[in-house]
Amino acid sequence: MTWLRDVLVDLADDSPQVDLAERTIAAHHRRRRTVVSLLAAGMVVVVALGATAAVRLLPDRRQEAASTGDLPARGVGPLSHAYKTFCEPARGEAPKGCRDGGWRVVTRSGETYHVPDALRSLAPGRTGLRDSPLAISRDGRKIAYYSADEGTFQVRDLASGRKTTAAQKVPKSLLGSVSRLMLSDDGRFVAFSKVPDFKDPALLIDMRGGAVRELPNRWVPIGLSPDGATITLAEYSPRSRLRTISNLWPSSSKGDTTSVILPVDYHFSPLAPDGRTVAVIENLSTAERPCRRGDLALMDTLTGEKRKPTVISGLPADVSQISLRTWLSAEEVTALTMSVRCRPASDVPDDEPAVIDQPYRTMTAYAVNVRTGKARKLATYRAQGFFEIVLPGPPGAL
Amino acid sequence: MDRNDSFREFVAAHQQALMRTAYLLTGDAHQAEDLLQSALLKVFGRWFRLSRVEYPEAYARKVLLNQYISWRRRRVRAELPTADPPDRLYSSEDSTIVRLVMRRALMRLPPRQRAVIVLRYYEDRTERETAELLNCSVGTVKSQAHYALARLRELAPELAPKLSDLEAEEARR
Repeated sequence: MTWLRDVLVDLADDSPQVDLAERTIAAHHRRRRTVVSLLAAGMVVVVALGATAAVRLLPDRRQEAASTGDLPARGVGPLSHAYKTFCEPARGEAPKGCRDGGWRVVTRSGETYHVPDALRSLAPGRTGLRDSPLAISRDGRKIAYYSADEGTFQVRDLASGRKTTAAQKVPKSLLGSVSRLMLSDDGRFVAFSKVPDFKDPALLIDMRGGAVRELPNRWVPIGLSPDGATITLAEYSPRSRLRTISNLWPSSSKGDTTSVILPVDYHFSPLAPDGRTVAVIENLSTAERPCRRGDLALMDTLTGEKRKPTVISGLPADVSQISLRTWLSAEEVTALTMSVRCRPASDVPDDEPAVIDQPYRTMTAYAVNVRTGKARKLATYRAQGFFEIVLPGPPGAL
Repeated sequence: MDRNDSFREFVAAHQQALMRTAYLLTGDAHQAEDLLQSALLKVFGRWFRLSRVEYPEAYARKVLLNQYISWRRRRVRAELPTADPPDRLYSSEDSTIVRLVMRRALMRLPPRQRAVIVLRYYEDRTERETAELLNCSVGTVKSQAHYALARLRELAPELAPKLSDLEAEEARR
């Protein structure tokens, strides 16, 4: 058995490494569009009329209020968030001046700018889909992105306009279909990870010193110690795991790794200010009861030990999805929420068309006290999904 | 996470394993891509239901195998390899040659036999699991595996002793 298996494994190693997710979604859409093109023409008129009415009724349009120009060379204030735009949403309208697959940053005072230096996720003609990540430092004063011109990651100080470019080039082909970027508080370190996890590694880049440390791919970077020596990673698919790698530099060392495999599926927050804890929410969704979740709990990243869960109070009853984001203090973590209709699997027709560009949805951020569970409203945003909106600080893991 | 995102996640997590199986089944990178793409299209069409079942990858694997067998029924004439086996004796320890010979021999198996070999000996699935994936009986899996190994022995005589050992070992299990 072993001999034949070894030969077959050896043969299988020649299999191509391609990412078929976007190709499949686009092919499904094209096929569908061919069949229903005439019907769709009529539907567009109806949907456009409805969307126009709906957009007029939206309570919060602050992020689109100002006209959107390119990010000025310097003198930009701290950011509240950034969002990625795809311009043909299935329902409703795209933001004015929409650039397909491009990033926009929004300052705390409400100015919105395109980020032309950042690689777009779509090439002209809506081809060449790949993920192009962006990160905002916790203080909102720096951004990191993949520079289309430089072919690698770049960090930009928004006030001074100073750009720092990574010493090592990263081919566009390695950006993957779902990528994550984390920028350290001081802007010195950039961590990049993506799926699918081919043989290329994830990277931790020292933008100041020029060194690059390879990391395991597929893991979402959720926290980095101030000296850049210890990184915390989370894996949410196919099962939840946490990993802490310390003693990262010099880059030739393997580092000291602690991994925790968790028995159930969790959504993770970024690493808490104490450098050892994350907030988690258990994913309890099933086919017939989607969008179910457990209570909020704190978890030790080194042991996986979970403290007593806390019921989140103060959220609207229709909140169906939560993404845990930036820590506001040692007690409060950001919960970005969406209220979307969750249908049981049996209610969804098999031939329901795939949605390529999601509609723009209202998302509301709450500060949730991790001891009491009490939530207070912070802000409202519009974006196409949790993957298309970035708040300051490391990303959480859905 | 919306439907597209959860599908992307699913594909990211499982496509490489499925691609390896597709490659062993087709023996060709482009055909493997086509086969997997075709299977994933079917999976995506039902994703709302599948994304909430416990093992959507099992469904995807089954679609892949069914798609492969139905393709092969249509394409079998065009796909038969034309290259001759090696014209010299080779050592069964020479891994590069063994790989080439096995690949060529595998390509000459009928589709269902090839699928049985891949599922039983590459994916290490039980006869029952293999039967379920191929929509056939356990008896059919046993007989297909026997015929497949016999055919491989004919196609790759230098590897016959190792293949015979394999079957003997299988019989003892």
